Amino acid sequence: MAAGARKAKAVYPLFQLGGPQLRIFRPNFFMLAVRPGVPQPEDTVQFRVSMEMTKVDIKNYLEKIYNVPVAAVRTRIQYGANNKRNHKNQREKKPDYKVAYVQLGQGQTFQFPNLFPEKEQDTETHSFEDFKNKYMEREKQRQKGDPRRDGVPDWFGL
Amino acid sequence: MAAAGAVSALCRRFTGVLRLSGARPGSVAAGLPGLNLFHKNLAKVEPLHQLKLLHTTLSRKGLEEFFDDPGNWGEKTVKSGDAWNIKQLRGKSSEDLHKLWYVLLKEKNMLLTLEQESKRQIRPMPSPERLEKVEKSMENIDLVVKEREIALRLLQTGHEKPVPGEWRHDFLGRTYWYTYKEWPIPWYLNKRYKKKRFYYLPHVERFIRLRLEKFLCKRARGQNLERKKQKLLKRKFPQLAVKSQSQ
Repeated sequence: MAAGARKAKAVYPLFQLGGPQLRIFRPNFFMLAVRPGVPQPEDTVQFRVSMEMTKVDIKNYLEKIYNVPVAAVRTRIQYGANNKRNHKNQREKKPDYKVAYVQLGQGQTFQFPNLFPEKEQDTETHSFEDFKNKYMEREKQRQKGDPRRDGVPDWFGL
Repeated sequence: MAAAGAVSALCRRFTGVLRLSGARPGSVAAGLPGLNLFHKNLAKVEPLHQLKLLHTTLSRKGLEEFFDDPGNWGEKTVKSGDAWNIKQLRGKSSEDLHKLWYVLLKEKNMLLTLEQESKRQIRPMPSPERLEKVEKSMENIDLVVKEREIALRLLQTGHEKPVPGEWRHDFLGRTYWYTYKEWPIPWYLNKRYKKKRFYYLPHVERFIRLRLEKFLCKRARGQNLERKKQKLLKRKFPQLAVKSQSQ
């Protein structure tokens, strides 16, 4: 059949009442911290997680892998819009994603940091900026007309 | 999902002795802030039992691990090594691979966080190739672990596939490998399964023949093209053809 290059969907053993708890070695689920769009309380961290993760999964993930105490987790699925169209007039779907609001335990707080602080420019970039400014000044001077004729262009007159 | 409680216990035992595993390698190279050790350089770290008591502290606040070393914030590029090769990974023990997997997972999370934040702030992400390297490394670890599992399974049971299956036809006459699925009810009570048809009706035979013809034509065209190219090269570079025959 069609051999797809897409990732094969993970197959988990069937669970029936009284069966063993599923344990996964080497989980491939991603989790990324995002800056909240709406101001959140200080102990709440906002994450985007894989769609297959549950609240229990997220709690265990943070506690075991990141060693972060978690008090509560709430999740929701954000629907990605499908109404933009490309140059072929085909609808382009923005992917859906799951958002998790995690409340930290033990009274910890978290503020999303500024990952792009202003840094001092190096000497290289400084010299390049100077060169650019001088070039622009020279170009502007050339654009201006003759000062002896008060800036009137040569096109007219004698 | 309970992410391997046994593994975390193992990690904690190791860290109790040596305080190196679990610590971000960035904290080991404290004197070299720009150097990222997540990639190939990890191979150069000696096996744990040979290290003396290196007191590198674990990152206390786990949430800091979602972000890069603060010295790298605002930089335009961050240096990083190459992705892990399959050959390098084959030499590592399963425990090392397990730990490396989690290191790479945390690095991937950090890079995804950075990517999203850079989209939010409308800034270019510093060194986006790191993401591809990490994903490639993780795929390679997967391959190596799968190889080892297959080898073990072959020795223990004689099967190479984890899930048994068989060749079946679909309703279009195509033949494919069907893996058995786990169901709580037998197949004759399974409505969804019974709707799937693993046979084809006689009128499909004509289309099978046409498909076969298409495949054979395409293959023949490819082979002809190959032969023509070889002929052209031999005509243009006769001396090389003579060399290859003599060898």
